[in-house]
Amino acid sequence: MSELIFTLRPAVTHLVDCRALTPNMLSGKALAEIKALRLSAQHTVADVFDVTGEDVTHIVFKQARAVIHYVGYQMKAGQIIIEGDAGDFIGAAMQGGVLVCKGDVGERAGDSMRRGMLLIEGDAGEYCASSMKAGTLGVLGKTGTRLGYGMKRGTLLLAQAPAAQATWLDCGWHTLPFLDILYKSFKTLDSRFATITQMRVQRWMGDVSGLGKAEILVLA
Amino acid sequence: MNINGVHIDDSFAEAFNMRGTRVIITAQNLKWAYNAANAMTGFATSVIGCGVEAGIEREMSADETPDGRPGVSVLMFAMGSKVLMQQLETRMGQCILTCPTAAAFSGIASEDQISLGKHLRYFGDGNQVSKLIPDANGVNQRYWRIPVMDGEFLTQETTGMVRAIGGGNFLVLGTSQPQVLAACEAAIEAMQKIPNVIMPFPGGVVRSGSKVGSKYPKMFASTNDAFCPTLKGVVKTELDMDIESVMEIVIDGLTFEDIALSMKVGIEAACSLGASAGIKRISAGNYGGKLGQHHFKLHQILQGNLTGATTA
Repeated sequence: MSELIFTLRPAVTHLVDCRALTPNMLSGKALAEIKALRLSAQHTVADVFDVTGEDVTHIVFKQARAVIHYVGYQMKAGQIIIEGDAGDFIGAAMQGGVLVCKGDVGERAGDSMRRGMLLIEGDAGEYCASSMKAGTLGVLGKTGTRLGYGMKRGTLLLAQAPAAQATWLDCGWHTLPFLDILYKSFKTLDSRFATITQMRVQRWMGDVSGLGKAEILVLA
Repeated sequence: MNINGVHIDDSFAEAFNMRGTRVIITAQNLKWAYNAANAMTGFATSVIGCGVEAGIEREMSADETPDGRPGVSVLMFAMGSKVLMQQLETRMGQCILTCPTAAAFSGIASEDQISLGKHLRYFGDGNQVSKLIPDANGVNQRYWRIPVMDGEFLTQETTGMVRAIGGGNFLVLGTSQPQVLAACEAAIEAMQKIPNVIMPFPGGVVRSGSKVGSKYPKMFASTNDAFCPTLKGVVKTELDMDIESVMEIVIDGLTFEDIALSMKVGIEAACSLGASAGIKRISAGNYGGKLGQHHFKLHQILQGNLTGATTA
């Protein structure tokens, strides 16, 4: 089965809510049904995307731009690849599966995420990983302000050191054995994350304004 | 039957249904993987007194283990699932959690999962971290990262539990103690190359085979006097006058075929020393065939029939 591809039409400039386009939401739907889905009162999927393929467990967004929001919202399993940039709330409330964005993302990526892996190859905007409950969120590019705001549990893996924040506490540099297992799971992905081998990380714990059991692991 | 001048008794080993599990222990290097695994499989020779029978199955290279470090695989067997679970947890807590750099992973797939680090995680006192990471097949596996003084103790949450067989065995009879021990060492060396089996006694060899019952009412097992060479003249002996020493090799394994294969290579290795090296007879331990569910017939196995006739 070929992967399900949503190619963003170049003419689209309005905000696109992609909450309906996850493996669990599209499960059991035929291509024609998917095309006819309403993304808003004004637009169907076919108005916004050129859609091909059939495997709803492997979804690809092509020619993606920052107008697409809520990609992977509450996704439970499967894989979504965003080729290009994406807007806000990418992977928000995610409950499983893998979401890879090859470009930059907007604000609140991984907000309230519960489980699964969200991997951002580009930069992430403000409030990345806000209120995150668990799971793994990786960012290879820069991260904006209020990183991990209210983050409870889970792992933020960063290739670049973030700005210091009062509610995140430095726990020093460590060689963590579990990273080898995490990196092995990256190897199956078509992503720059598959090339990471560094076992040594700086560990921060926070957000201590709340539960404070989350961690930021910095590779830089 | 005769191999290299060694007489093979037309006898059988009587073995029992058990529950088994496999755990992969890794560490910074093999030395520390062995330190952890030796502790975990220590005092695990017989279910009678130790609860479980356990041993190191084989070494694993860094590219075979889940965390890319060298390790060993450990097999552990018990008469029931409850004991196996209790013993695994106790040994994980006292031997693997405590051992510098050691980590533990599931070594066997099964519908039945038993706790590896599931309860041990509370040692982290609230600072333990759970990670759900997909394996090579895309199936999520849960790991626990427990902060300890040397860094982080990493353990998978559960491992598989399978039906297994314990108590496969054979006896080596010879004209002197050193000669019998040499034959047993040769057998163990060959048997250690066979996967899915362990020989749980010290060095793989046991010298105190037992019979059921005793003259003392409180003892339910006592020395196997029929095979004790110093009692040849006074008991109903199984030994000819030229036999001066008998040793036994006990095997636990995942399947009948695994145990049968290990018995075959072990007996052949012991017999390779030959009658000229003092090895006179190979026999097997049984209880008349009424207690154990599995019968390993020596002649059948040595003729290459490893599937065996399994009685219900």
